[in-house]
Amino acid sequence: MERPELLITIDKEGKVRVQVQGVSGERCLELADLVKEIVGIEEQRQLTGEYYGPSAVARQRQLHQRERTGR
Amino acid sequence: MSVICVLTPIVIGSWPSIVAAVAGAASAMGFSTVTGAAAQAAASGYEQVRSQIPHSEVLAEALKGGEKIRVQKDGVIIEFGRSAEGACTVCVSGRRSKSELQRIGQEAAGRVVQQFAYHKLITELKQRRFTVVEEKVQPDASVQVRVKLG
Repeated sequence: MERPELLITIDKEGKVRVQVQGVSGERCLELADLVKEIVGIEEQRQLTGEYYGPSAVARQRQLHQRERTGR
Repeated sequence: MSVICVLTPIVIGSWPSIVAAVAGAASAMGFSTVTGAAAQAAASGYEQVRSQIPHSEVLAEALKGGEKIRVQKDGVIIEFGRSAEGACTVCVSGRRSKSELQRIGQEAAGRVVQQFAYHKLITELKQRRFTVVEEKVQPDASVQVRVKLG
């Protein structure tokens, strides 16, 4: 079972940076939205590898392999 | 990591919640709370710089009117209050240059936002079953908190 984790950094100007970890896909976006709802204005959002989850990465690898081998 | 967000807090709260954030910010900056009369005497006749905390609103419901909180350090007084429009005001006075007072005011405003955002986030995340697993203040004065669900 996924256990989400948030790493929150609040700098001395009050700017908040949040990393959502331990979950992927929609659940990950839901948690990002939750933090946004609590804090205020979102300035930037960046999706990283884990967002797509291991299955998506494996699919991409398979596609790449097929393209290379032609099979 | 899966998603990284950068957010600017909106500071909307009752006067007591603003006072709590000011107290935390003042303490972090080495300032201490002073009474109105002592503060006025200490600051009279010196340069003053006024500003507002961006994206702030002090809710009027718990206000009797004219509430202010003043903190002081090394002859510099910072007074926090509420503007007619409801924003949180910051007035810095003391025997310093205008630019120095401006810098102090900006730093104080930032620290108040930091304290406010910290308390709001932690309170609301705890209500949603998150638990603080790690917390530290970095050398650059940023606060780092790690929370987990469950």
